[in-house]
Amino acid sequence: MDNGREVLIRVSGLAKSFGGYQIWDGLNLDVYRGEILAIVGGSGQGKSVLLRVITGLVKPDAGDVELFGHNVKSLSAKDRLDIESRWGILFQDGALFSSLTVLQNIQVPMREHLELPQAIMDDLAFLKIAMVGLPPEAAHKYPSELSGGMRKRAGLARALALDPEIVFLDEPTAGLDPIGAADFDQLIHKLQQTLGLTVYMVTHDLDTIFTVCERVAVLADKRIVRTGSPIELQRQPNHPWIEEYFCGERARAAQSGEQPRRLVV
Amino acid sequence: MLKRDHTLSLSTQARAPGFRVELRGTTFRLIASGAWTVAEATRLDTALKRLRVPIPPTPEFTGEMDIAAIAEIDTAGAWLLQRTASAWEAGGLRTRYAGATESFRILIEEVQRRGNTERPKLQRQGAGQQIVEDLTKALTGVWSDAIQLTSFLGEVTAAMGRMILQPWRFRPTSFVHHLDHAGLRAVPIVGLICFLIGAVVMQQGVVQLKPFGAEPFAVNMVAILALREVGILLTAIMVAGRSGSAFTAEIGSMKMREEIDAMRTLGIDPMDTLVLPRVLALIVALPLLTFLGDITGLIGGGVMAMAVLGLDVSNYMDKLHEAVSFKHFMAGMIKAPFAALIIGLVGCLEGLKVEGSAESLGTHVTSAVVKAIFLVIILDAVFAMFLSAIGM
Repeated sequence: MDNGREVLIRVSGLAKSFGGYQIWDGLNLDVYRGEILAIVGGSGQGKSVLLRVITGLVKPDAGDVELFGHNVKSLSAKDRLDIESRWGILFQDGALFSSLTVLQNIQVPMREHLELPQAIMDDLAFLKIAMVGLPPEAAHKYPSELSGGMRKRAGLARALALDPEIVFLDEPTAGLDPIGAADFDQLIHKLQQTLGLTVYMVTHDLDTIFTVCERVAVLADKRIVRTGSPIELQRQPNHPWIEEYFCGERARAAQSGEQPRRLVV
Repeated sequence: MLKRDHTLSLSTQARAPGFRVELRGTTFRLIASGAWTVAEATRLDTALKRLRVPIPPTPEFTGEMDIAAIAEIDTAGAWLLQRTASAWEAGGLRTRYAGATESFRILIEEVQRRGNTERPKLQRQGAGQQIVEDLTKALTGVWSDAIQLTSFLGEVTAAMGRMILQPWRFRPTSFVHHLDHAGLRAVPIVGLICFLIGAVVMQQGVVQLKPFGAEPFAVNMVAILALREVGILLTAIMVAGRSGSAFTAEIGSMKMREEIDAMRTLGIDPMDTLVLPRVLALIVALPLLTFLGDITGLIGGGVMAMAVLGLDVSNYMDKLHEAVSFKHFMAGMIKAPFAALIIGLVGCLEGLKVEGSAESLGTHVTSAVVKAIFLVIILDAVFAMFLSAIGM
């Protein structure tokens, strides 16, 4: 617990370098239960790498990652597996398995982590398909037969297959048209409300940040330089990059459109 | 997963999911408790399926899903509750929920709303129909492959003609690059394979011919075989596996990333830049590699002959002179440029046929190698008949 909120993920003192270039030095970040957190930062600051470090795909050079209160360094293989069933990850282009249909893709985590009867798996998978806003006909299609937006939704359905406590989204609205992106923002917000999710997203999309994110963490100068609500960061940037990002032309445009698009749940 | 109270950590006792049904007044109540989560879904599903749907004696009887004792719930749990509620409704009981917190209510309503969508049936074909369909596809596929390959040969020939008339179209850098990759870098593996096969054939020849006292003729056999067939065939198969597949993969991945479309819009002809340098490089490289294969095959046979027949170098050379003439060497070499043309054409054509997905790339690389090797062997058979007909 930390100022009344439960910390789901705590990253401390992280350092990582690639080919002699250090991307972080002493990076700290807490993710609280139930929040929608956006990670922003310029290109090459290691936003996606941070996601990969937290999910264990990349090893940091130094520092600690605590997941649900357990330090990953001291996890046994079984605990690790348990934790993996408590999160869901949506990769940039969905990363659906191309040889499986959407339905089968959603059932992969169920098969891997649990032993459920086929009928229940079908019921749950169709439910998830409907919840992410895909038409039921999409169930028997292969990823190559879907549009980019549909692939993301299917990827999200797979990430939600086991009702995780936290979902990681890597650039969820990248490559979607503005309408599709706005729909996706709404979907994330709605699912967060319905399922009590914690959402960790890497994004560039100012519209997403202003409409759905409670808290923003800014990655610059090899660490998280500031965290705060989008409005706070915009009012008091206190950092040249944040000022450019949150007070630039695009940010103003995103914010001026905020009122009519504010979500009603 | 939604918890009733986040500050509470549940004991194992409280987590165990369960339910009981009781009748109070005119209300059938399903009292659910514990953790209704996906991890417990199998157990709950079995138990709920055993539960009989209560039959209301009179219409004023109602149902109630009392979830006040549920500590944790997720979509799986909500779905199981909703499935039971729907069954009760269908049996004539008006069923409502009781004891839901705000967050539970949102989840249950969402599951109610989304849970009853029409499901498309998966079209399944009978095995018989599937076999007939696959067979038809395979046969028509052979025919359309033949047409595609022929028309591609035509395109490449036309492009070569254009290049002769307009020599500045030739891309020397690309040509040399592919000559290096398909030719020079294949030298060690081609040399080694032909050396080993030459040695093995010689050893087997000696063993098999010994009972007839004909083991000296093993040298004749190896020499003729190496020059006419083994040198070219082994080299062509190696090159089809090494370079034909590489051509398909290179061109195919460019096709996948729309690089080829980009070239066309920039006024660059992919035929000139991608296909011709590769095909021409192979046509030059394969005869050279075949020559290497012939020689190393003979050396391999020679080394084995010295070991098992006790010949020395000059004896072996004399025997070679007696056994083979220039026409045997030519009978092998003449096939090399044709085999190169086939491997190059098939490799490039399969690359250009790649569509968007990585799976398609894999399929086409495989089919490039299989088709190239198959066609090289057909070519070899045709040449064998032709050459023997003209007495070579």
